[in-house]
Amino acid sequence: MMRIKFVPYEKLKNNHAAVLEELKEGMIIVVDAKLSPKEEAELIQETMRAINQRFAGIELGSIDFAHVDGGWKFRSALTEKISGKKRGITLIGPAKLIRKIEQKPEELMLYF
Amino acid sequence: MVLRHIRKVKNSFSSLVMSIFRKRKNLKIGLYGPVNSGKTTLANKICMDWLGEELGVASVVPHETREIQIKEKVTMKLDGKSLAFNLVDTPGIATRIDFEDFIKHGISEEDAKQRAKEATRGVIESIKWLNDMDMVLVVMDSTRNPMSQVNITILGNLDARKIPFIIVSNKIDLKKSDTTKIRNSFPGYDVIGVSARNGDMMKELYRMMLNGL
Repeated sequence: MMRIKFVPYEKLKNNHAAVLEELKEGMIIVVDAKLSPKEEAELIQETMRAINQRFAGIELGSIDFAHVDGGWKFRSALTEKISGKKRGITLIGPAKLIRKIEQKPEELMLYF
Repeated sequence: MVLRHIRKVKNSFSSLVMSIFRKRKNLKIGLYGPVNSGKTTLANKICMDWLGEELGVASVVPHETREIQIKEKVTMKLDGKSLAFNLVDTPGIATRIDFEDFIKHGISEEDAKQRAKEATRGVIESIKWLNDMDMVLVVMDSTRNPMSQVNITILGNLDARKIPFIIVSNKIDLKKSDTTKIRNSFPGYDVIGVSARNGDMMKELYRMMLNGL
Protein backbone atom coordinates (compact mmCIF):
# COMPACT_ATOMS: atom_id res chain seq x y z
CA MET A 1 0.00 0.00 0.00
CA MET A 2 1.37 3.39 -1.01
CA ARG A 3 1.51 6.01 1.72
CA ILE A 4 1.89 9.74 1.07
CA LYS A 5 2.49 12.25 3.85
CA PHE A 6 2.15 16.02 3.56
CA VAL A 7 4.78 17.70 5.70
CA PRO A 8 5.05 21.42 6.43
CA TYR A 9 8.35 22.93 5.31
CA GLU A 10 9.10 24.06 8.87
CA LYS A 11 9.14 20.44 10.06
CA LEU A 12 11.55 19.28 7.34
CA LYS A 13 13.76 22.32 7.76
CA ASN A 14 14.51 21.56 11.38
CA ASN A 15 14.51 17.79 11.28
CA HIS A 16 15.87 15.94 8.27
CA ALA A 17 16.46 12.87 10.42
CA ALA A 18 12.76 12.39 11.27
CA VAL A 19 11.75 12.75 7.64
CA LEU A 20 14.45 10.28 6.58
CA GLU A 21 13.09 7.77 9.10
CA GLU A 22 9.69 8.01 7.42
CA LEU A 23 11.26 7.65 3.98
CA LYS A 24 13.05 4.53 5.21
CA GLU A 25 9.65 3.11 6.09
CA GLY A 26 8.46 3.59 2.51
CA MET A 27 6.60 6.89 2.92
CA ILE A 28 6.41 9.43 0.09
CA ILE A 29 6.80 12.96 1.46
CA VAL A 30 5.27 16.09 -0.05
CA VAL A 31 6.55 19.42 1.28
CA ASP A 32 4.71 22.73 0.80
CA ALA A 33 7.79 24.65 -0.37
CA LYS A 34 10.83 24.46 -2.59
CA LEU A 35 13.94 23.71 -0.55
CA SER A 36 16.84 26.14 -0.87
CA PRO A 37 19.93 24.80 -2.70
CA LYS A 38 21.77 24.58 0.63
CA GLU A 39 18.90 22.60 2.19
CA GLU A 40 18.84 20.26 -0.81
CA ALA A 41 22.58 19.66 -0.44
CA GLU A 42 22.18 19.02 3.30
CA LEU A 43 19.34 16.58 2.66
CA ILE A 44 21.49 14.69 0.12
CA GLN A 45 24.36 14.50 2.62
CA GLU A 46 22.03 13.25 5.39
CA THR A 47 20.58 10.72 2.96
CA MET A 48 24.06 9.42 2.11
CA ARG A 49 24.76 8.91 5.83
CA ALA A 50 21.49 6.97 6.18
CA ILE A 51 22.01 4.60 3.23
CA ASN A 52 22.34 0.94 4.12
CA GLN A 53 21.47 -2.39 2.50
CA ARG A 54 17.73 -1.82 2.92
CA PHE A 55 17.59 1.92 2.26
CA ALA A 56 19.06 2.95 -1.11
CA GLY A 57 18.50 6.68 -0.82
CA ILE A 58 15.87 8.99 -2.19
CA GLU A 59 14.38 10.40 -5.34
CA LEU A 60 13.84 14.12 -5.07
CA GLY A 61 11.93 16.54 -7.26
CA SER A 62 10.68 20.07 -6.91
CA ILE A 63 8.75 22.85 -8.59
CA ASP A 64 9.76 26.45 -8.07
CA PHE A 65 6.61 28.59 -8.29
CA ALA A 66 8.75 31.58 -9.25
CA HIS A 67 9.25 29.91 -12.65
CA VAL A 68 5.54 29.20 -12.98
CA ASP A 69 4.44 32.71 -12.02
CA GLY A 70 5.83 34.31 -15.17
CA GLY A 71 5.46 38.05 -14.71
CA TRP A 72 4.79 37.69 -10.99
CA LYS A 73 8.38 37.12 -9.94
CA PHE A 74 8.35 40.23 -7.79
CA ARG A 75 5.33 38.94 -5.87
CA SER A 76 7.12 35.60 -5.36
CA ALA A 77 10.25 37.28 -4.09
CA LEU A 78 8.23 39.44 -1.71
CA THR A 79 6.19 36.51 -0.36
CA GLU A 80 9.37 34.49 0.16
CA LYS A 81 11.00 37.35 2.03
CA ILE A 82 8.04 37.60 4.39
CA SER A 83 7.37 33.87 4.91
CA GLY A 84 11.02 32.74 4.92
CA LYS A 85 10.29 29.87 2.58
CA LYS A 86 10.55 29.47 -1.15
CA ARG A 87 7.19 29.11 -2.88
CA GLY A 88 6.92 25.73 -4.52
CA ILE A 89 6.54 22.05 -3.85
CA THR A 90 9.03 19.30 -3.05
CA LEU A 91 8.48 15.61 -3.49
CA ILE A 92 10.73 13.08 -1.78
CA GLY A 93 10.37 9.33 -2.09
CA PRO A 94 12.39 6.25 -1.22
CA ALA A 95 14.61 5.15 -4.14
CA LYS A 96 13.51 1.52 -3.72
CA LEU A 97 9.91 2.61 -4.36
CA ILE A 98 10.25 5.43 -6.91
CA ARG A 99 12.31 4.59 -9.98
CA LYS A 100 12.64 8.23 -11.06
CA ILE A 101 11.01 11.64 -10.84
CA GLU A 102 10.84 13.43 -14.16
CA GLN A 103 11.09 17.18 -13.71
CA LYS A 104 9.76 19.93 -15.90
CA PRO A 105 9.59 23.56 -14.76
CA GLU A 106 5.87 23.22 -14.09
CA GLU A 107 5.39 19.49 -13.60
CA LEU A 108 6.66 16.50 -11.68
CA MET A 109 6.08 12.96 -12.89
CA LEU A 110 6.71 9.95 -10.68
CA TYR A 111 7.71 6.59 -12.14
CA PHE A 112 7.29 3.52 -9.95
CA MET B 1 15.00 38.41 -21.03
CA VAL B 2 15.94 41.49 -19.01
CA LEU B 3 16.47 39.32 -15.91
CA ARG B 4 18.83 37.09 -17.90
CA HIS B 5 20.97 40.08 -18.90
CA ILE B 6 21.00 41.39 -15.33
CA ARG B 7 22.13 37.96 -14.11
CA LYS B 8 24.90 37.82 -16.75
CA VAL B 9 26.16 41.30 -15.85
CA LYS B 10 25.97 40.41 -12.13
CA ASN B 11 27.91 37.15 -12.71
CA SER B 12 30.56 38.90 -14.82
CA PHE B 13 31.00 41.58 -12.18
CA SER B 14 31.31 39.11 -9.30
CA SER B 15 33.76 37.01 -11.41
CA LEU B 16 35.87 40.11 -11.94
CA VAL B 17 35.87 41.04 -8.26
CA MET B 18 36.59 37.45 -7.20
CA SER B 19 39.45 37.17 -9.70
CA ILE B 20 41.28 40.07 -8.04
CA PHE B 21 41.34 38.17 -4.73
CA ARG B 22 42.09 34.80 -6.29
CA LYS B 23 45.37 35.84 -7.88
CA ARG B 24 47.11 35.45 -4.51
CA LYS B 25 46.46 31.76 -3.90
CA ASN B 26 46.34 28.38 -5.60
CA LEU B 27 43.23 28.31 -7.71
CA LYS B 28 41.03 25.25 -7.48
CA ILE B 29 38.93 24.27 -10.46
CA GLY B 30 36.47 21.50 -9.65
CA LEU B 31 34.64 19.06 -11.87
CA TYR B 32 31.15 18.45 -10.58
CA GLY B 33 28.17 16.60 -11.95
CA PRO B 34 26.00 13.54 -11.71
CA VAL B 35 27.36 10.01 -11.88
CA ASN B 36 28.73 8.85 -15.27
CA SER B 37 28.60 12.28 -16.91
CA GLY B 38 32.27 12.02 -17.91
CA LYS B 39 34.00 14.10 -15.21
CA THR B 40 37.08 11.88 -14.98
CA THR B 41 37.32 11.57 -18.77
CA LEU B 42 37.27 15.38 -18.97
CA ALA B 43 39.79 15.69 -16.11
CA ASN B 44 42.07 13.23 -17.91
CA LYS B 45 41.76 15.17 -21.17
CA ILE B 46 42.63 18.48 -19.45
CA CYS B 47 45.60 16.88 -17.66
CA MET B 48 46.84 15.16 -20.83
CA ASP B 49 46.62 18.43 -22.79
CA TRP B 50 48.50 20.53 -20.22
CA LEU B 51 50.57 18.08 -18.17
CA GLY B 52 51.00 15.07 -20.42
CA GLU B 53 49.62 12.64 -17.83
CA GLU B 54 46.19 11.43 -16.73
CA LEU B 55 44.48 12.02 -13.39
CA GLY B 56 42.30 8.97 -12.73
CA VAL B 57 40.53 5.92 -14.06
CA ALA B 58 37.29 6.45 -15.99
CA SER B 59 34.75 3.63 -16.21
CA VAL B 60 31.21 2.85 -17.36
CA VAL B 61 30.51 1.35 -13.93
CA PRO B 62 28.82 4.05 -11.82
CA HIS B 63 30.79 5.60 -8.92
CA GLU B 64 34.21 4.61 -10.26
CA THR B 65 35.53 7.84 -8.70
CA ARG B 66 34.75 7.56 -4.99
CA GLU B 67 37.36 9.91 -3.59
CA ILE B 68 38.39 13.46 -4.41
CA GLN B 69 41.33 13.39 -6.82
CA ILE B 70 43.59 16.40 -7.29
CA LYS B 71 46.15 17.18 -9.94
CA GLU B 72 48.27 20.08 -8.79
CA LYS B 73 49.97 22.81 -10.82
CA VAL B 74 48.16 22.46 -14.11
CA THR B 75 49.15 25.40 -16.33
CA MET B 76 46.98 26.27 -19.28
CA LYS B 77 48.40 28.59 -21.93
CA LEU B 78 46.33 29.76 -24.87
CA ASP B 79 46.01 32.91 -27.02
CA GLY B 80 48.71 34.66 -24.97
CA LYS B 81 46.80 34.04 -21.72
CA SER B 82 47.87 31.75 -18.92
CA LEU B 83 46.09 30.07 -16.01
CA ALA B 84 47.70 27.95 -13.29
CA PHE B 85 45.40 25.88 -11.12
CA ASN B 86 44.82 22.67 -9.19
CA LEU B 87 42.28 20.44 -10.91
CA VAL B 88 39.87 18.69 -8.55
CA ASP B 89 37.93 15.69 -9.84
CA THR B 90 35.01 14.87 -7.55
CA PRO B 91 32.84 11.76 -7.11
CA GLY B 92 29.52 12.02 -8.93
CA ILE B 93 26.67 13.44 -6.89
CA ALA B 94 23.62 11.22 -6.47
CA THR B 95 20.55 10.98 -4.28
CA ARG B 96 20.44 7.17 -4.47
CA ILE B 97 23.12 4.50 -4.22
CA ASP B 98 21.97 0.90 -4.35
CA PHE B 99 24.60 -1.81 -3.99
CA GLU B 100 22.43 -4.07 -6.15
CA ASP B 101 23.09 -1.77 -9.13
CA PHE B 102 26.80 -2.62 -8.87
CA ILE B 103 26.03 -6.34 -8.85
CA LYS B 104 24.29 -5.82 -12.23
CA HIS B 105 27.69 -4.65 -13.52
CA GLY B 106 29.26 -7.96 -12.57
CA ILE B 107 30.70 -6.91 -9.19
CA SER B 108 30.52 -9.45 -6.33
CA GLU B 109 27.99 -8.78 -3.55
CA GLU B 110 30.69 -8.10 -0.97
CA ASP B 111 32.56 -5.68 -3.23
CA ALA B 112 29.28 -4.04 -4.28
CA LYS B 113 28.39 -3.31 -0.64
CA GLN B 114 31.85 -1.87 -0.02
CA ARG B 115 31.66 0.20 -3.21
CA ALA B 116 28.25 1.58 -2.18
CA LYS B 117 29.62 2.56 1.23
CA GLU B 118 32.57 4.35 -0.34
CA ALA B 119 30.30 6.02 -2.90
CA THR B 120 28.08 7.52 -0.16
CA ARG B 121 31.18 8.99 1.51
CA GLY B 122 32.28 10.32 -1.88
CA VAL B 123 29.01 12.24 -2.37
CA ILE B 124 29.33 13.80 1.11
CA GLU B 125 32.93 14.83 0.37
CA SER B 126 32.02 16.31 -3.03
CA ILE B 127 29.41 18.57 -1.43
CA LYS B 128 31.80 19.56 1.40
CA TRP B 129 34.50 20.56 -1.11
CA LEU B 130 32.16 22.84 -3.01
CA ASN B 131 33.00 25.77 -0.70
CA ASP B 132 36.71 25.49 -1.58
CA MET B 133 36.29 25.89 -5.32
CA ASP B 134 37.25 29.01 -7.26
CA MET B 135 35.60 27.81 -10.43
CA VAL B 136 33.54 24.76 -11.35
CA LEU B 137 32.95 22.86 -14.55
CA VAL B 138 29.51 21.30 -14.20
CA VAL B 139 29.71 18.23 -16.40
CA MET B 140 26.42 16.98 -17.82
CA ASP B 141 25.83 14.01 -20.10
CA SER B 142 24.23 15.63 -23.16
CA THR B 143 22.39 12.40 -24.06
CA ARG B 144 20.42 12.49 -20.79
CA ASN B 145 17.61 14.75 -19.57
CA PRO B 146 19.38 17.73 -17.94
CA MET B 147 16.40 18.59 -15.70
CA SER B 148 17.50 16.31 -12.88
CA GLN B 149 17.44 17.24 -9.21
CA VAL B 150 21.20 16.64 -8.96
CA ASN B 151 21.92 19.19 -11.71
CA ILE B 152 19.45 21.68 -10.22
CA THR B 153 21.00 21.28 -6.74
CA ILE B 154 24.57 21.71 -8.02
CA LEU B 155 23.74 24.84 -10.05
CA GLY B 156 21.65 26.31 -7.22
CA ASN B 157 24.49 25.85 -4.74
CA LEU B 158 27.08 27.39 -7.08
CA ASP B 159 24.77 30.33 -7.70
CA ALA B 160 24.13 30.80 -3.97
CA ARG B 161 27.86 30.63 -3.17
CA LYS B 162 28.70 32.96 -6.11
CA ILE B 163 31.23 30.50 -7.54
CA PRO B 164 31.77 31.04 -11.28
CA PHE B 165 30.91 27.99 -13.35
CA ILE B 166 30.60 26.68 -16.89
CA ILE B 167 28.12 23.99 -17.85
CA VAL B 168 29.97 21.42 -19.94
CA SER B 169 27.61 19.47 -22.16
CA ASN B 170 29.72 16.34 -22.60
CA LYS B 171 29.49 13.43 -25.06
CA ILE B 172 28.57 15.54 -28.11
CA ASP B 173 30.09 12.79 -30.26
CA LEU B 174 27.11 10.56 -29.44
CA LYS B 175 24.03 10.47 -31.69
CA LYS B 176 21.51 11.25 -28.94
CA SER B 177 23.50 14.29 -27.74
CA ASP B 178 21.39 17.46 -27.33
CA THR B 179 23.28 20.53 -26.07
CA THR B 180 20.38 22.81 -27.05
CA LYS B 181 18.20 21.05 -24.49
CA ILE B 182 20.76 21.86 -21.80
CA ARG B 183 20.93 25.51 -22.97
CA ASN B 184 17.13 25.77 -22.90
CA SER B 185 16.91 24.12 -19.49
CA PHE B 186 19.39 26.52 -17.89
CA PRO B 187 19.03 29.85 -19.71
CA GLY B 188 21.41 32.64 -18.81
CA TYR B 189 24.31 30.33 -17.99
CA ASP B 190 27.46 29.61 -20.01
CA VAL B 191 27.08 26.26 -21.76
CA ILE B 192 29.57 24.57 -24.08
CA GLY B 193 29.27 21.25 -25.87
CA VAL B 194 32.39 19.08 -25.87
CA SER B 195 33.48 15.52 -26.35
CA ALA B 196 36.06 14.83 -23.64
CA ARG B 197 36.68 11.42 -25.21
CA ASN B 198 37.45 12.74 -28.71
CA GLY B 199 38.72 16.18 -27.69
CA ASP B 200 36.07 18.03 -29.75
CA MET B 201 35.60 21.71 -28.77
CA MET B 202 38.18 21.51 -25.97
CA LYS B 203 39.97 24.67 -27.14
CA GLU B 204 36.72 26.60 -26.88
CA LEU B 205 36.25 25.28 -23.34
CA TYR B 206 39.80 26.35 -22.42
CA ARG B 207 39.10 29.85 -23.80
CA MET B 208 35.97 30.07 -21.63
CA MET B 209 37.97 28.95 -18.58
CA LEU B 210 40.68 31.53 -19.26
CA ASN B 211 38.08 34.26 -19.63
CA GLY B 212 36.05 33.10 -16.62
CA LEU B 213 38.85 33.63 -14.11
